[in-house]
Amino acid sequence: MGKFYLEIITPEKTFYKGEVESIQITTLDGTCMIMAEHQPMVFATVPGSLYITADGQRREAFMSEGFVEVRPDETIAFSEAVEWPEDINVRRAQEAKERAEEQLRRNRSAAEYRLNRLALQRAFARLQVKSHKNIGNF
Amino acid sequence: MADVTEIKHRIRSIQDTHQITKAMELVSTAKMRKSIQKHKYSSAYFDSVRYTLKDILRHSTDVRHKYMEHRKDNRTAYIVIAGDKGLAGAYNSNVLNLAWEHMQTRPVHYVVTIGQMARAFFESKHQSVDLEFTHAVASPTLHDARGIMRDILDLYDSNLMDEVYVIFTRMHSTSVHEPVMVKLLPIEEKDIEADVKNTYGGQIDYDPSPKEVLNVLVPQYLVGMIYTALIHSSASEHASRMLAMSNATKNAEKILDTLSLEFNRLRQNAITTDLLDLSSGRFAAANKQTEGNART
Repeated sequence: MGKFYLEIITPEKTFYKGEVESIQITTLDGTCMIMAEHQPMVFATVPGSLYITADGQRREAFMSEGFVEVRPDETIAFSEAVEWPEDINVRRAQEAKERAEEQLRRNRSAAEYRLNRLALQRAFARLQVKSHKNIGNF
Repeated sequence: MADVTEIKHRIRSIQDTHQITKAMELVSTAKMRKSIQKHKYSSAYFDSVRYTLKDILRHSTDVRHKYMEHRKDNRTAYIVIAGDKGLAGAYNSNVLNLAWEHMQTRPVHYVVTIGQMARAFFESKHQSVDLEFTHAVASPTLHDARGIMRDILDLYDSNLMDEVYVIFTRMHSTSVHEPVMVKLLPIEEKDIEADVKNTYGGQIDYDPSPKEVLNVLVPQYLVGMIYTALIHSSASEHASRMLAMSNATKNAEKILDTLSLEFNRLRQNAITTDLLDLSSGRFAAANKQTEGNART
């Protein structure tokens, strides 16, 4: 399988750097897989799972909202937060989820609704990534 | 001429000050390094956000976003970023004066301050401060930047202001920093500074559409602008303080030199006088004795 160079950058650190075979991201329209020789493109992503396949190994990570830029020479993913399952704090995610649900019930303004929905989406995605990992271990 | 004990006292107090300024210099150096490190990581990220945003604005003509529309008045909000503490040379006054001068040209303006010194400055000028953040400058985090942006957007959305400017100190190197004013809202293509050289010059497609990507980018761009401004300010503040403190340390050393010279001279003088007294006393006593001997 063809390989391409992937870099995942967050404001705090470079999360991933190296040759990969494919990545699967969660875009606004749904899941999307990028392989080598992809057409140059920019994808907007929503909080969700990110699958990186390198050397035949497929790993899942959590990726918050951001965007992925595919260029002929390399692919760069930008997001405010990208985390491996082992770095996800379940309790924090659970708390964030409950907080967001509570806020959503009150629903004061449209802008607040959007913010809370996004927060809920992030919490769900984190919990999902974490639970996938646990299933894999058993 | 000063007294020996008085000079001794002064030497002691200057030594204490010297110790403090030296420690502050070291602390500022460490803090500045930390800020620069943070800046290095975040700049790669936010430079790309800026670049992509600029690219979309340049190539797509029909994109609309509520933060890009011009409002017809010029009610202006200023986000002024200064330090929490003084003792940093001209750092605070430079950035605050720039803000103050520009404010005089706008009849209606709002002031948002970040940092204690900024608030104190506007209070002393009898300018009411509409919103203040005090703890964001010491060690800025993305969380702080997000909170600040949310509050500002709330005000902007409720149509209280037409333009938002950020005034902060940009750091070019450890010794060169200048106060600058950057327009935050409404977003205009010409205001976006993007000096990232893209290796690919061809047409890039946007999925699902430029507009959707733009919706994701705009909040990130705004958070990035504030975060970058905060980090630049904190790095500049620490750099200014480091310079100011290193000057103070040098000054203290110079004063200590002259004072110890003076002290040694006075002490020598005192010794000479004592010796003179002693020897003249002895001489007198010896004289008296020989006189007495002669008499008997």
